[in-house]
Amino acid sequence: MLFFSYFKDLVGQEVTVELKNDLAIRGTLHSVDQYLNIKLENTRVVDQDKFPHMLSVRNCFIRGSVVRYVQLPPDGVDVDLLHDAARREARGG
Amino acid sequence: MVVGGLREFALRRNGDGSPALDESNGEELMHVQPSVAVALGSRSVESPGTLYITSRKLIWLSDVDVAKGYAVDFLSISLHAVSRDPQTYSSPCIYTQIEVVEDDEDDTESTGVLDLSKIREMRLVPSDSTQLDTLFDVFCECAELNPEPVEEEEEEESGHNWVFSADQMVVGGGGEEDAEWQISQSPTSVIGHSNGGDESIAQPMLELRINDQRFDDAEEMVHESETKDH
Repeated sequence: MLFFSYFKDLVGQEVTVELKNDLAIRGTLHSVDQYLNIKLENTRVVDQDKFPHMLSVRNCFIRGSVVRYVQLPPDGVDVDLLHDAARREARGG
Repeated sequence: MVVGGLREFALRRNGDGSPALDESNGEELMHVQPSVAVALGSRSVESPGTLYITSRKLIWLSDVDVAKGYAVDFLSISLHAVSRDPQTYSSPCIYTQIEVVEDDEDDTESTGVLDLSKIREMRLVPSDSTQLDTLFDVFCECAELNPEPVEEEEEEESGHNWVFSADQMVVGGGGEEDAEWQISQSPTSVIGHSNGGDESIAQPMLELRINDQRFDDAEEMVHESETKDH
């Protein structure tokens, strides 16, 4: 549940979600659930070429299973802390 | 159950014209929205129709053509959103993206016949646009009801069924059950010990050191050298 907890702490911050189909969407993280489904607000498409039709949906729900990356705000993450926490989680701690 | 992208759907119940559901598998109707038009991909809108949202999929049935209907599983809906910008689309609607399995062999451009399984975007346009937020919420609910299917052990307290070695028999049981790990008779690893004698690290690291080439990769080697430095 590490990343679920981590993302819950990021709610309200700007993130960019890159989907497995290469679409990248930037927005404010509104909420996240245990499956890492993501709801974004104030969304805008980063690269408009592939999916021009969704230029300006304001809120969206992204299925966790189609997310490739979540780009975090640079000051929104303590890398060492996250690294240690991930390692602990991986060994069942 | 075959999960696919968009497909034809025209199975109906007798009488009220609503769609036949897979009740034996627990599928239930969550919401019905009459007077909804559908636009597939870049095609023009089709109407009038009724949107049926079930716990597994969404179904649009034409009100005038009994043979016409479409369905897509929530498992295949990558994203949904409320679209209100008139410059993006003329009517307020629910915009959805559908996960499509890429098949390089198919060339649908040449046939002119619509291949539903290649449709990547779908808009649902209710004639009552005040219903958009409700529809958005129902979509969210149903998406949450349809997480990726996983192996049974996934939801235990440890939450993960990471495989550390081919010998691992016991899955699950987090930190408090380290004693159940099947530790093979492999050479003692120095990795865990160098971490100030933190034994709970030592056991999984022992597993990683089992001589199975499949589990050696560049990333793990880097990991090992990092812990040695501590």
